[in-house]
Amino acid sequence: MGIPIPNSKLGMWLFLGTEIMFFTAFIGSYIVLRLGSNGWPTRYEDTHINVLLGGINTFVLIVSSYCVVVAHEAMAQKSFARARGYLWVTTILAFLFLGIKGIEYKGKIDHDILPGRIPETSSQAMVKVADQLEELVRERFHAYTHADVIKAERPADIIGIAPLVQALPSAERPSSLTDAEFKAFQASSVVDYALFQQWLDLKQHIVADVSLDSPALTADYLAKREELAEGVRLPALKLEEVRERLASLKTSGPMKVRAGDASPEQSGSPEQAAATGDAGQDAVTALNSQMAGLISARVFDPHPMVYGNIFASCYFIMTGFHAIHVIVGMILFGMVLKQGSSLNERWTDWVENSGLYWHFVDLVWIFLFPLLYII
Amino acid sequence: MSHDDHQTHHVNYLAVFFVLCGCTGLSVLFDVLSMPKGVTIVLVLAVACAKAMSVMMYFMHLKFEGNWKYVLLAPTTILAIGLPIALFPDIGRSYYINAAPQVTSWADEVAEYEREHAAATEGGAH
Repeated sequence: MGIPIPNSKLGMWLFLGTEIMFFTAFIGSYIVLRLGSNGWPTRYEDTHINVLLGGINTFVLIVSSYCVVVAHEAMAQKSFARARGYLWVTTILAFLFLGIKGIEYKGKIDHDILPGRIPETSSQAMVKVADQLEELVRERFHAYTHADVIKAERPADIIGIAPLVQALPSAERPSSLTDAEFKAFQASSVVDYALFQQWLDLKQHIVADVSLDSPALTADYLAKREELAEGVRLPALKLEEVRERLASLKTSGPMKVRAGDASPEQSGSPEQAAATGDAGQDAVTALNSQMAGLISARVFDPHPMVYGNIFASCYFIMTGFHAIHVIVGMILFGMVLKQGSSLNERWTDWVENSGLYWHFVDLVWIFLFPLLYII
Repeated sequence: MSHDDHQTHHVNYLAVFFVLCGCTGLSVLFDVLSMPKGVTIVLVLAVACAKAMSVMMYFMHLKFEGNWKYVLLAPTTILAIGLPIALFPDIGRSYYINAAPQVTSWADEVAEYEREHAAATEGGAH
């Protein structure tokens, strides 16, 4: 008396029972969160979810499921070479599935569609641009303190270091550097200071919530505010302005974009850079172009997306755990394929059980595809 | 349990495979056709359920298994369905309300505060 199936199959079904609850926890939470939100990102421009790639992956898993079931049938008929052939196809299809998934993930990473990194409002999007520029400024300034070109008590204080970077073209060469090395630092300092100014200007405008056309740095800002009638405020900063400023930085570099509050000597130009120090104009112009490329690579265009973070969390947790299951399935099939031509009937239960597991992986994707890609 | 228990059920797996492919095509078609969102959701989920049933019944052989399948799968299915139902009143109905930071600007909140403050001051004066 008992359940009329092999113990291993009973074990697999019990395991699949827990797996049903595991994935339903994710899928159920996703449905509930989505129903409970006042909006949800669904446009391709927001989510970069590619229905075609999802559809191809669905097809890939269906074909692989078919191959597994036929492989099991072949095992039962003691046609082991045929079974091995179908299992090879299944494993290759699993690699293909993960490759396509990797392409999809890369699309998300390239656009910073990652949990906790998506601005949900215009102001968050503007702050993110300023934060990413700040990160770049920190990295650039670190080169000077790290190489002891600039001696700073607090190397992390970029506002404190900025005047020293600005003064570098007319500074004395430290004995630890060769002439060529120091000249390279002098040339880059002109561009890095311009980048700092761009960041500071944007940051000040964001803090004061004032349009880039109006001054935001302390003295000018206060003077301008004095002129206003009571209750009237300077025009607020708009996302479109930040977007345009960033686009200019990405195409022209920090030297050629005038930061709103920069005084003529602060705003700088390659000509001034050449005049104020030993740094050559050509070197500065080339570095400015390099910096434009660096900004393009490091600072994402602002793209606010309401409920974007919860969407990204749901997407990655569901597809991520599904991908882990695919990898486990590949290991199960790999152990069978490792037997090579010595595969025999002792592996029939193994193939059946790993097949059940693989069909379950397919089953989960059958629901993930419409829920994540279509609805 | 010996390996002789592997029975052949004469399932036309290729036919099931084509049904699954057809269903996937239908899902994409429903997405491409411009229908009301609610109709699309119902249709693609119905297709997903049909695909899931085909896989479970034929590829996973549940159609040919004994009654043990109910004993094994009913409790997990009930618990799995119970979770979203249990979450729904707390999260699905009121997790993100209009006052959430995602949909409220500071300017609106300040204006609201000032209105309330003004009303309270006027009320105090009377």
